[in-house]
Amino acid sequence: MLHRILSLWLCFSLSSTVFAQNSFQIKGSIVNSNTLQPIEGANIIGESLYAISSPTGTFTINNVAEGTYSFTISHLGYASKTITIKVGPNMEELKILLDESTIALNEIEVNGKTKKRVNKESPVVSHVVTKEFLANNRENSLMQTLSKIPGVSTIKIGSGQSKPVIRGLGFNRVAVVQNGIKHEAQQWGNDHGLEIDQYGIENIQIVKGPASLVYGSDAIAGVVDIQPNAIPLMHSFSGEVNLLGESNNDLLGVSAGVQARSHNWFYRGRLTYRDYGDYKVPTDQINYENYIFTLHDNNLRNTAGKEANASFSLGYVSDHITSETTISNVNAKNGFFANAHGLEVRTSRIDYDNSNRDIDLPYHKVNHFKISNNTSIALDNHTIQLDLGFQNNLREEHSEPTPHGYMPTPPNTKERGFHKNTFSLNVKDAFKPNDKHNLVTGVNVEFQDNTLSGWGFLIPEYTRFTVGAFAFDQYEINSDLHLLAGVRYDFGQINSKSYFDWYPSTINNTNGSTSYVYLQRAQDKTLDFGNVSASVGLSYILNHTTFKINAGKSFRIPLPNELASDGVNYHMYRYEKGNLNLDPEESYQLDIDIDHTTKNFSIGVSPFVNFFENFIYLNPTSNYYETLQIYEYTQSKVFRAGGELRASTSIINNLDLNASAEYVYSRQTSGPKEGFTIPFSPPLSGLFSASYQFKDVFFFKQPQLSADYRITAAQDEIVPPEEQTNGYQVLTMSLLTQLNLYKTMNPLEVKLKLNNVFNTKYYDHTSFYRLIDVPEAGRNISIALTQTF
Amino acid sequence: MKLISKYFNLLIITLLITSCSSDDSVSIDEQKPTISINYSEGFPQACEQLVKGETYIFKAQLTDNKALASYSLDLHNNFDHHTHDDQGEVCDLEPIKDAINPLIYMENFNIEGGLTTYEINISITIPDDIDTGDYHCSYSVTDETGWQSRTSVDIKIVE
Repeated sequence: MLHRILSLWLCFSLSSTVFAQNSFQIKGSIVNSNTLQPIEGANIIGESLYAISSPTGTFTINNVAEGTYSFTISHLGYASKTITIKVGPNMEELKILLDESTIALNEIEVNGKTKKRVNKESPVVSHVVTKEFLANNRENSLMQTLSKIPGVSTIKIGSGQSKPVIRGLGFNRVAVVQNGIKHEAQQWGNDHGLEIDQYGIENIQIVKGPASLVYGSDAIAGVVDIQPNAIPLMHSFSGEVNLLGESNNDLLGVSAGVQARSHNWFYRGRLTYRDYGDYKVPTDQINYENYIFTLHDNNLRNTAGKEANASFSLGYVSDHITSETTISNVNAKNGFFANAHGLEVRTSRIDYDNSNRDIDLPYHKVNHFKISNNTSIALDNHTIQLDLGFQNNLREEHSEPTPHGYMPTPPNTKERGFHKNTFSLNVKDAFKPNDKHNLVTGVNVEFQDNTLSGWGFLIPEYTRFTVGAFAFDQYEINSDLHLLAGVRYDFGQINSKSYFDWYPSTINNTNGSTSYVYLQRAQDKTLDFGNVSASVGLSYILNHTTFKINAGKSFRIPLPNELASDGVNYHMYRYEKGNLNLDPEESYQLDIDIDHTTKNFSIGVSPFVNFFENFIYLNPTSNYYETLQIYEYTQSKVFRAGGELRASTSIINNLDLNASAEYVYSRQTSGPKEGFTIPFSPPLSGLFSASYQFKDVFFFKQPQLSADYRITAAQDEIVPPEEQTNGYQVLTMSLLTQLNLYKTMNPLEVKLKLNNVFNTKYYDHTSFYRLIDVPEAGRNISIALTQTF
Repeated sequence: MKLISKYFNLLIITLLITSCSSDDSVSIDEQKPTISINYSEGFPQACEQLVKGETYIFKAQLTDNKALASYSLDLHNNFDHHTHDDQGEVCDLEPIKDAINPLIYMENFNIEGGLTTYEINISITIPDDIDTGDYHCSYSVTDETGWQSRTSVDIKIVE
């Protein structure tokens, strides 16, 4: 036996020695001959051999057989160099000096500004979200991840879906923009999510305030602008794989992305798949309107879901033109809480508790296909930006066919189907006549066509056309004082199509007779809207302090459901009635932002005052239609004020402390609910975070432990049919570290997270399920692994 | 010292800006109306059996802190067992069946005069030609503000 092992060992060691003798490694570094600074991204190209220098200028080529090789080393801005080396034993590390290009430039003026500086100079009150923030704080959906930012919250529906809310306003009052194209997924009501893959996003700009000037209708409360990712480095290939597991809803998620670039051409691709079961809440039973639902194993039955996303883009970049075409598809199927879908209480013969992973009725299916092209052309002092987009949304809601009122039992489960096509075109020209001015002009055009299927009716089929033109100038009064002023005009037209019930209703006539009528729910109607928006702002930088003040007027064209709904919303157990006389919402807002940042300390405050001339909301009336309460779209004047406070310090080494608070006060000052707040008003809330960076332990690199403690006050400010919500405190802990498993590979990033550490039972006032007394998710342990290559 | 005064100034500005909110004292109605069949005349009670051809007086008691506005009564079949009542009683349900000619009763009524208490009093004769079986009786009430309360009860219609 010993002989065998010995011979085996001998055999291996010998052969590996032989192998080692035959193959060598070329190592070297590339530096600037003048400054001796390393050069990153230089190409080292030989016959069948290839490398790119790292940020430290080094490169390695493995498995090179003995012999003589010649390489060409090239980099933009340097003269190419060809060297010949002998590869063999005892090779020395190469040091290659590159000379700067011989194109003589007598004077180079570098006018680069950091992103931070650009943001400081812009009077727009905005918040930039980095890839690092997204990776460190990733939650179940993109908007839940962003809700850590003061002033940003979400309206949640179950565990995987959420909509953005900025300073208490959400739905269509926040525009979501991806790659320059407005993401159209918000129009159909509140029980569905954003339809965006949250992986692979590097940069998000959040504008907390009216932004119609640049973004048009819908950006009345703010914008979530998901910006295009940085173009990959020349001759590079990189990628990452993300794995995610969660204990609360047994989620398993995997996402993989690659990107590569040759000289001018580049591509990116990503695939994401997530599958999760029912989520658990820290309660055994739910008590809603005298009904008691007992939960099996704390599972909120039928809230399982799955999601499969794919995206691919191809781009070309040269000195003057950058163009990228992106195709993406998001596909999801989510179940809804079976006992009270919306406000309607239901029992069912479906065995929901058989498995916590199956998706039974009621559920919805969503598919969002998007193709967009972003092209930017740089001419002398003009930069022209073209964004072209096409989006196709398919959404189906399925529920158990049940007769209701005069409607007999429907033939199938497809309650509603929406099919929407959206075409968008944006053209923008940024003109810099001199150092002082940056004049931006642009046109946005959008066309939408929405058709329907299914046995339930809520909003009519419609087409919508909008066109808007804007111009603004950012004027540098001096290097620390900037003025931005602009104006915009929009025209919109909505064509709603008529709709008749597919079943007759019984009408008792005044003469005592009875007739059976196929009721008309919507009319053929063409509605035109026009609106002016404007904005003016100042930014002043005084040493470490930045002052911003911005006044703006924004608008929003009413949605077709606000104009023309006329039907029973079975989920909400109510009758919803649109109003064809609604005017576009107009809002005036004054924003101030003061930020003081030094090396170890930062404090900021951003108060706002806002006035809505005609806020649109769904008002519960005291009348009935076929025994269901009538909710009518109504307009009223609304006054709002509030803001955010933030402070952070890193005065003690390795310890970061953050504190933030957000508050919004809202009052309707006219209309049937005068004196009330507006729906889904977020309560006063504060977030305290601490994170400590430990020293490397064993193979754990840069371990970082952090704790987030959220304290939210009770929300007593409500409007029918809401209920008051108690305050709560909830703790989240996370541990981030890197593991160096293989020397040759990038470290594996590990994130261990514990949400709701104490399994606290609490209600989020802005959660959709709050309406039926469903508490927030219980304790959740999640593990996220990211391997880049 | 200079640093402290700078932060102090910032604090003052912050307070000035954030302290401008005023509380207007428009009194608003934050109470829902109530609806109850849990009293001796309340009708129907859970699992009540209604006979075809008979006339019944449907009764429920309503209250509100300010002003009642409207109420509704909805009788519909529960042949598919789609929901249960909120009275905590469990009635024996008949086997699931398809509806042929079920009773549909849906009526809304207004309460004039801004009353704070009211007793619903609706006389209904159960028609002879409708399907017998499990039915639902749902009452709902709104106040002038738009708050709503509901209650529902399982009943049966028999020959």
